[in-house]
Amino acid sequence: MPSFELIPDEGLRVGFDRIEARLLRELVAEMKLLLEVDIPPTDPVLERLFPQASDDPEEAALYRELVGSELKAVKVEALRLVADRLGQRGPLETSIPEEEWDAWLSLLTDMRLAIGTRMQVTEAMMEAELDPEDPDTPAMSVLHWLGWVQGSMLAAIQQEDEDGHFE
Amino acid sequence: MSTKTAPVRVRDSETTDDVSPEKPWLVIVWNDPINLMPYVTWVLQKLFGYPKHKAEKLMLDVHHKGKAVVSSGAKEKAELDCFRLHGYGLWATMSKSE
Repeated sequence: MPSFELIPDEGLRVGFDRIEARLLRELVAEMKLLLEVDIPPTDPVLERLFPQASDDPEEAALYRELVGSELKAVKVEALRLVADRLGQRGPLETSIPEEEWDAWLSLLTDMRLAIGTRMQVTEAMMEAELDPEDPDTPAMSVLHWLGWVQGSMLAAIQQEDEDGHFE
Repeated sequence: MSTKTAPVRVRDSETTDDVSPEKPWLVIVWNDPINLMPYVTWVLQKLFGYPKHKAEKLMLDVHHKGKAVVSSGAKEKAELDCFRLHGYGLWATMSKSE
């Protein structure tokens, strides 16, 4: 299982074994394709990653014109940061500096949204036990694993907040 | 890790804009089956500087009631908030308050 440890003045130290790191690299490559390839914007995954901001078609079009390309640029930059840190091969032992945390957390979210939307998951599916015979199980396992990675990252970085000050 | 920013001093000539009869825009976050509850709470804390208990309450409203108004204000602010929420993968829309 991956490990996460917050090291003061250094960042979040993470460890992924060879198989976990390879899975992340494959998912990064798939996300890159999704953002680069000319897929119709009516694709459900793209609709979820770049949602309509309004029921009013005119307002929705205005919003898309205003921020559409910038939103894509944010996602492409997150992919680049994470891909650089993942490297090309082998297990991953690295420290993620604080300025890259957002890129990791939002990209993990986008990966989960892409898989979950493609599979049309429901809350019941998310809570169900995985059946080894079910053809959806491999993809559901990846979805849950990414959620576990994200939850562990969040818990590790929020440690600092909870130790540092109280709200 | 705090995202709170210092209050901005507004010139008198501008403060009159704040009391215009224009209805504010509301930014709504909708429930989805994929995003995780601690993540949604973290995003709301980070983007809006809400204390944890407020962010958690909004997150629970999204989860149980299907949606929650997470911010409001001028149209430009609503657009920016929507954009930032979309950047973090939350399903957000904006609408003019009735």
